[in-house]
Amino acid sequence: MSSVDSKKGVGDWVSGVGSDRTIAYLLIAPTIAVLLALTIYPLIYSIKVSFESSSGTATLQNFTRLFTDQFFLSALSHTFVYAAIALTVEFLLGLGLALLLDSQIRARNVWRTMLLVPMMLPPVVVGVVWRLMLNSNFGAVNGTLKSFGVNADALTWTASPKLAMASVIIADVWQWTPFMFLILLAGLQAIPREPYEAALVDGSTAWQTFRHVTLPLLKPAILIALLLRTMELLRVFDHIFILTEGGPGLATETLGLYIYRTAFRFSNFGYAAAMSFVLLLITNIISAGYIRLLQTRET
Amino acid sequence: MSVRSPTVREGKLRSLQPTKPFAYARASDTAFEMEQMKPVRFLKYAVIIIALLLTLAPVYWMITISFKREVDQFALPPKWFVFTPTLEHYADAFINRSFGQYLFNSLFVAVASTICALVIGTLAAYALARFRLPWNLDRKLALWILSTRMFPAIVTAVPLFLIMRAVWLVNTRVSLIIVYTGLNLPFVVWMMRGFFAEVPRDLEEAAMVDGDSRMGAFWRVVLPLVAPGLAATAVFCLIVSWNEFLFALVLTQTDDAMTLPVGIAGRVTQYGIKWGAMSAAAVVAMVPILVFALSVQRYLVRGLSLGAVKG
Repeated sequence: MSSVDSKKGVGDWVSGVGSDRTIAYLLIAPTIAVLLALTIYPLIYSIKVSFESSSGTATLQNFTRLFTDQFFLSALSHTFVYAAIALTVEFLLGLGLALLLDSQIRARNVWRTMLLVPMMLPPVVVGVVWRLMLNSNFGAVNGTLKSFGVNADALTWTASPKLAMASVIIADVWQWTPFMFLILLAGLQAIPREPYEAALVDGSTAWQTFRHVTLPLLKPAILIALLLRTMELLRVFDHIFILTEGGPGLATETLGLYIYRTAFRFSNFGYAAAMSFVLLLITNIISAGYIRLLQTRET
Repeated sequence: MSVRSPTVREGKLRSLQPTKPFAYARASDTAFEMEQMKPVRFLKYAVIIIALLLTLAPVYWMITISFKREVDQFALPPKWFVFTPTLEHYADAFINRSFGQYLFNSLFVAVASTICALVIGTLAAYALARFRLPWNLDRKLALWILSTRMFPAIVTAVPLFLIMRAVWLVNTRVSLIIVYTGLNLPFVVWMMRGFFAEVPRDLEEAAMVDGDSRMGAFWRVVLPLVAPGLAATAVFCLIVSWNEFLFALVLTQTDDAMTLPVGIAGRVTQYGIKWGAMSAAAVVAMVPILVFALSVQRYLVRGLSLGAVKG
């Protein structure tokens, strides 16, 4: 994962000296204390809450309810649809842009900087931007379509049950494609020249070079970019909350929004906690999968 | 950003220069670029220009809305360039409405939580980079610290809200400072651990031979050397705290504690939206972040991948 580990060994300050070891523990202790208080303790607290009914008695109800709750199941499927589509589009666009900017091109750093702008913005601002773009009365998207003579009246975007999901995915793709692009470009630029020269000498075509040289060497960067994006996509909240609040109806309600609504609108903290463990479980399984892929490559 | 400078790369390549456009040859040599077929070159730049338009036009559109009178906001076809600019929405948002207060809250929370996370995290990072503990404890702790960052925010938001409510901290800035400190801490530890590892330990040992204590060497020798890394880490923490939405939404609902993102979101989801005031607030929320982000470009890849990809 990091070069820190590989540098370990020679010349390390071994823990033999008692006072050094004490210093080390003293330095680490505050961090451990804060993280215990702010992640582990809440997690344990959450487990306790999830086994309590609203009146405070012990119950399994919050977990059995998961299997029969239509809202939960639909939120789950929305989450997967959202994550799968956004991840695919962001990856393909990001890879395309990264390859483009890695090829010989002038003013690369200028393009790169400008392309990264959306990624920096607060998610709330991205929500505002796309509310303004997609508004069916005065939004720039429909306005532009109309000025080209397209009848855009039927495109109500965030207000339409059919297009709402597309709208929130557009906003996500717009903000996070630059992230994929940035990580993949860094990966591409770290690939040494020699394999390319060898491929050139062997007379391989551009596609063969891409398939057999670029892709395998880029694999670690690809996996890390996909891992980080997948984690974020599964827990998506901000964009959807601002753009549609899960609506219209429940058309864009993902797990994150449903948990929020259950806890903070209906004050059903036990059920919200139970659902949040499902989300935690899903993200853990998927990240474990990615990490296994990363490790198999290294050995 | 690039690991090797292009000139070094090309030295080797000269003799092997391809005679046809080779999509994956990688050099920014101008003479080489000239050899590319014109249509290919044209296509490349066309794609880049389109990508840039799609990237920047939405932001530009929001900025124009914040400066447009209401008649111009709703104009059809949309007025992209020609309109009478006005500052009325900025005045409306920050004088008539409470966005000035939200702005202050955001700044206060971001700065305070960044300082807390930096102080606590840097010490741990130094220890984890330098000392080897028994049973590989140093490595295990580092990985555990990293893993706490992988929790989805919504998973801890529910219990943290209940805990904060129990200790009467809901609707205070303090609650957010505490939560954001925890949020940034793993990041600080991993980033700074990487930076410390790059400092040769001979320097500290020399200082210690000269009579400095271990912590004296850390303070006077090592810390100044990692100052750029520390600054970059601080900027990342500021960005995370400034942009954070979910915890702020859950923990602050009153004007005297609410941060800018929550204030903006509150206006978006209400009926009868004041688009101008909302855009003005969004522009103000966006500008400092863009300035900050540009200042840490060099460390962007490293920061975003928690050191997994060295940019």
